[in-house]
Amino acid sequence: MKNASFVPHPVTDTESFESLLVGAVKAGFPSPAEDVREKLDLVKLLVRHTASTFFFQVDGVSMVDADMDEGDILIVDRAVDPYNGCKAVCFIDGEYTVKRVVIHDDGAVLMPCNEHSTHYKPIPVGPDNDFLVWGVVTYIIKKA
Amino acid sequence: MFALADCNNFFVSCERVFRPDLEGRPVIVLSNNDGCAVSRSNEAKALGIKMGDPLFKVRDIVEKNKVTVFSGNYALYGDMSRRVQEVLRSQAPSVEVYSIDEAFLDLRGAVIEDFDAYAKQLSASCRKLTGIPVSVGVAPTKTLAKIASKLCKQYPKLRGGCYLHRPADIEKVLRRFPAGDVWGIGRRTRGKLALLGVSTAWDYAQLREYDVRKNFALPGWRTWKELRGIPCIEFEDYVEPRQHICVSRSFAKEIDTVEELCSQVATFADKAVAKLRGQGSLALEMAVFAMTNRFHTEEPQNFASQLVAFPDGTDDHRTVVLTAADAVRKLFDRRYKYKKAGVLFTRIVQKEGFTRSLFRDAEADDKEGRLSQVMDAINGTYGRGTLRLGVQGDGQVHSSHEFRSPCYTTRWAELPKVRI
Repeated sequence: MKNASFVPHPVTDTESFESLLVGAVKAGFPSPAEDVREKLDLVKLLVRHTASTFFFQVDGVSMVDADMDEGDILIVDRAVDPYNGCKAVCFIDGEYTVKRVVIHDDGAVLMPCNEHSTHYKPIPVGPDNDFLVWGVVTYIIKKA
Repeated sequence: MFALADCNNFFVSCERVFRPDLEGRPVIVLSNNDGCAVSRSNEAKALGIKMGDPLFKVRDIVEKNKVTVFSGNYALYGDMSRRVQEVLRSQAPSVEVYSIDEAFLDLRGAVIEDFDAYAKQLSASCRKLTGIPVSVGVAPTKTLAKIASKLCKQYPKLRGGCYLHRPADIEKVLRRFPAGDVWGIGRRTRGKLALLGVSTAWDYAQLREYDVRKNFALPGWRTWKELRGIPCIEFEDYVEPRQHICVSRSFAKEIDTVEELCSQVATFADKAVAKLRGQGSLALEMAVFAMTNRFHTEEPQNFASQLVAFPDGTDDHRTVVLTAADAVRKLFDRRYKYKKAGVLFTRIVQKEGFTRSLFRDAEADDKEGRLSQVMDAINGTYGRGTLRLGVQGDGQVHSSHEFRSPCYTTRWAELPKVRI
């Protein structure tokens, strides 16, 4: 069962898919790059901690000034401690939201980032709220 | 020292990570095909819902108390389990994954000053990083570590971590711990325990060694020693090839045609072969079985099975799948409606070192082997069931997942959405 659902390519290096079907290719000159296997791995760049990183998708426009647009994918890392001014996925009184978290002595305020709309107001968080910071947003993936 | 890290009500906890609104509320997760409760929140346990209760039996409780019901989402649970294991690996020299929600840690040789603080810290890390509550018991043996982790669940004051090592503490705990709940004491030995006057783990540990050896064979003797603080159950951080492989499912809708049953069982057989090949084994014997719905007591009941031998051993997709389909044709009886069926390899050997018969057709075997390899490669890359044998039909296991949550962490199309 170990990670069973998470192995997209169990074909081993030595016995690649093609060589199984057509046999190994015998060619003349060995490639000087044969033993050098390097490539850029986006996941390594964007996912610092594989145990604690999750993805969310944005629905709504309260954070457009923080570069979070409808449909963007947020990379959220639970290993990062919430800090003053961080953008975080929060859970408040039964609902998810993403806001800038301003922390002060006796609580916090969830700040929207949308200058063009008066619709979004800061949400004060006090002891009466059922509140948790689910995880801090570390990257935003968006379509250019 | 050994530790056991055990995820609390694991499947329910996985659902709650993405549904924090369900904290403190009754939740259950149902088995494949929405049959029975396989994971319950503490609140659901308190309402009297038992492990394995079929949904229809507890429907009244569920409706009256607004219990949230989920179908099993194994993609999610598997991924969350992987995350917890990663946290454990980062904090312990070696980890033995015991099941999807439990792992032993070998702490021998680790430089840890305060095991109690370590246990609590590890539990807190798992919770923070993955969202899953984990109980960590630390003790001189695996069996005692398991008991210590159970204490964490009973006593929230322990904050998820418990170090059980002082003889006086161990005695106090074992005196209150039912012998039948000790890891390694099987349900079948309960009768024997009663005869010997054993009701608690402490009673068991106080038996004379002679009586233990006489009555409980080797595993019972090991458990006895472990309860007395002598480690003797090996730490296994590699996975032993399994001795049995079983793929079985209950169907969403009962099956009453031989073609349908054949194609379902063929798909199970295909999955079973993939597991067999994955661990480098050969099957020597296979049982194919089908049964009616035991909850429909007014309908005629039947349990049918067929045992088939492969004297030369096989790990070939085609051979196994066709043989399984053939077995279904033999056992099928159209007077019955089948609710569940499965394929079980009852005798397995490692391929390496197994001498196959001199008189087998080596060339045909080689062809079979190549076909199976190609099937493995294609199905490994493009998903199980991409390349399949005709008898498997559409290759879909007809199961119902009426209340399945999104695969939040394994499918792009099902990411959790945040309204912002």
